[in-house]
Amino acid sequence: MPSQPALPHLLAPYVSSPPQSSLTIVSSVLGATSNWLVLRFLYAALGNPSASNSGYDISGLENGKKKKVVLVSFLRGWEFWRSEAKRLGLDLARLTEKRRFAFVDGLSDLFSSSSTPSQSPLSSHQYPGAGAVPRTTLPIRPQPTPARLRQPVPLSTGSNGIASQTARESGPITKLHFSGSGVAALDALEKEIAAVINELVDTKLGDDRGESEIILVVDQSDLLLAATGASKGIGATEMGDWIMGLQQAAYATIATISADSPLIHNASAFAHEAPPPLETEHAAFAVGLAHRAEIIMQLRNLETGAARDVSGVLRVSKGSAWGQREIATAEESWEEKEVLYFVQRDGGVNVFGRGE
Amino acid sequence: MSFRKRNVGLTTGADRTSVPNISTPPQAATQSAPPTPGVRPSPDDGRPTTSTGSPSLDNLLAGHGGLPVGKMLLLEENGTTDFAGALLRYYAAEGVVQDQKVHVVGMQEQWGRSLPGLIGPAENANEKSDRRKSERMKIAWRYERLGEFGAGVAGARAPAAGSGGQAPSTDGGQATQPAFCHAFDLTKRLTHPSIGNMTYIPIRPSNEPLLVSIQKKLEAAIASSPPNTVHRIVIPSFLNPTVYPPEVSQPENVLPFLHSLRALLSRPASRITAIITLPLSLFPRSSGLVRWMELISDGVIELCPFPHSADALSTSGAATSHEEPPQGMLKTHRLPVLHERGGGSDQNIGQDWAFTLSRRKFEIKPFSLPPAEGDKEAQDSTRSDKMPKKADLEF
Repeated sequence: MPSQPALPHLLAPYVSSPPQSSLTIVSSVLGATSNWLVLRFLYAALGNPSASNSGYDISGLENGKKKKVVLVSFLRGWEFWRSEAKRLGLDLARLTEKRRFAFVDGLSDLFSSSSTPSQSPLSSHQYPGAGAVPRTTLPIRPQPTPARLRQPVPLSTGSNGIASQTARESGPITKLHFSGSGVAALDALEKEIAAVINELVDTKLGDDRGESEIILVVDQSDLLLAATGASKGIGATEMGDWIMGLQQAAYATIATISADSPLIHNASAFAHEAPPPLETEHAAFAVGLAHRAEIIMQLRNLETGAARDVSGVLRVSKGSAWGQREIATAEESWEEKEVLYFVQRDGGVNVFGRGE
Repeated sequence: MSFRKRNVGLTTGADRTSVPNISTPPQAATQSAPPTPGVRPSPDDGRPTTSTGSPSLDNLLAGHGGLPVGKMLLLEENGTTDFAGALLRYYAAEGVVQDQKVHVVGMQEQWGRSLPGLIGPAENANEKSDRRKSERMKIAWRYERLGEFGAGVAGARAPAAGSGGQAPSTDGGQATQPAFCHAFDLTKRLTHPSIGNMTYIPIRPSNEPLLVSIQKKLEAAIASSPPNTVHRIVIPSFLNPTVYPPEVSQPENVLPFLHSLRALLSRPASRITAIITLPLSLFPRSSGLVRWMELISDGVIELCPFPHSADALSTSGAATSHEEPPQGMLKTHRLPVLHERGGGSDQNIGQDWAFTLSRRKFEIKPFSLPPAEGDKEAQDSTRSDKMPKKADLEF
């Protein structure tokens, strides 16, 4: 089906216009990842209105406001998103130049350790090969790196503390770096992301008629929670607050989260022994987010086993925050639904009901 | 008029010469990339892939015919067997043979000395397909060139130049094109000039967290090698308490390590693949930690060897008397690239796989239960109850 619209009809009402200051949760499991759905959100906000042959008006211009997207990804790099979006017809690099899109890289340097100067001499003693390596914030890459990412290697001095932990670059991609512990570390990350959002808000386009709507997509932020844990002083509460802080900066927020059964159900089971903190915190974080969300989109595997023409099941349901706002506009008229989806080899997605 | 215009456009010499001139440089550029031995573009989408050292595992990986560069595979194994270790040795040996840089984490040089010996490029498969060809009943000649059953896209693609199984590609193609995958013999030891190039990152107590120091050493080793080197990171029995100290298996140690490993692999300039094996008996899949390790990995494959008591089942599991009985089940929970995109649309999805490790290869086949052969006695006894035997009927 090559003529398939990039945004399937059944999906369009759910992804095209997230309501103001809302939180949308996309949950995924190991065999049913959410990347394709995130890309559909990007497409709905950034896609070319003339290219959409569906009946829905998914144009970026709505009420005279231009939609912009900030994508924060903790598990996938820029290369992945750029190439996958290209398959949909979205040129993220060009959109970045046009200041309609910004990517925040939470993968490359999040836990890179070489920024702590106190540890560098140690490692160079143990490993003579690393002796000649300068102390840079970035881990060392081969010198004649082809300039495929249009960003200069930051000449960070790696002095110490919070000032250098988030190496801002002049390039289009901001790289997050986690350092320190507890709420302070999260705050630093939040500041970094908020700076990117504000930068995008401030840039006025020539043909811009009004202010712009920033849609923030936080992809797999639960990794932060899982990888830090109690020893770093980060729990479900802190993460929930962190997401809420980010929500304030953006017009609407979309967060993806893992909802595999070991992560969710281990905690609540009447287990004979207390579940490990990883599970309890994750479940608390996920459930807490679901209570604050307006729309919850769950992706999961087919219960009856894998099939060749079905990738998984998508269930759209209303979160706890649904209906709490006073004015229910027309665009919010959607209903809960469970459909099957199939991601084709060419990147297109087929969404259909059971038995169709 | 329109005829003329078209004619003019076609016959102008300037256009003809200029177009090839423009189009040749990109061709040269694309051709200059593949010469790295052991790296070939995927038949699915053209991304560079490298072989895991066992052809049937290559074919399992969602039509790419190999492990895509920059991807990380997590091999999990139940029980106390070491089938995953055998796969890992194939992977490391293939890297050595292809002159790639192999980094072994957590093991001593001894591990590298036990790599399986080289038989030759696909010689093994060649011999096997010949034998099969002679013994198998011919059903339809025209289907034969479609490749071996279960061989996947790559198997069907490889012999595009010739016909038949892998045999012609070794005869004709090998002379010009270096082999992508080799066959190894587990009973022999690998002797190759570049085996000394393997780097070992042993586990030594240090002042900083263990995995952080491993990560630094890995990055330093990769940074110190010349660019365009293809790297393989091998992590045998990760988190195994006989190798790793217990505090390492805390999520706040493991997950940042895997995350930064993933970051290392996904750097645009780097050409690295990694395979990690994990003992599932110690770290069950139902725990949140293992699930997060799987979520960070690009591919997750679980090996479930049959227990010894299931020998009867496994002998009957062989489809014919010539095939070796399967030694266990193999489950693919996540495949590189495919599931990152959303999953589905792979012909191998939803299959039950069985694996057989023999001296010369690790073979993955679709698992099927044949008619119960072991029940012969039971059938005989029931028959004897109902019907009088022939001897009884004779007068």
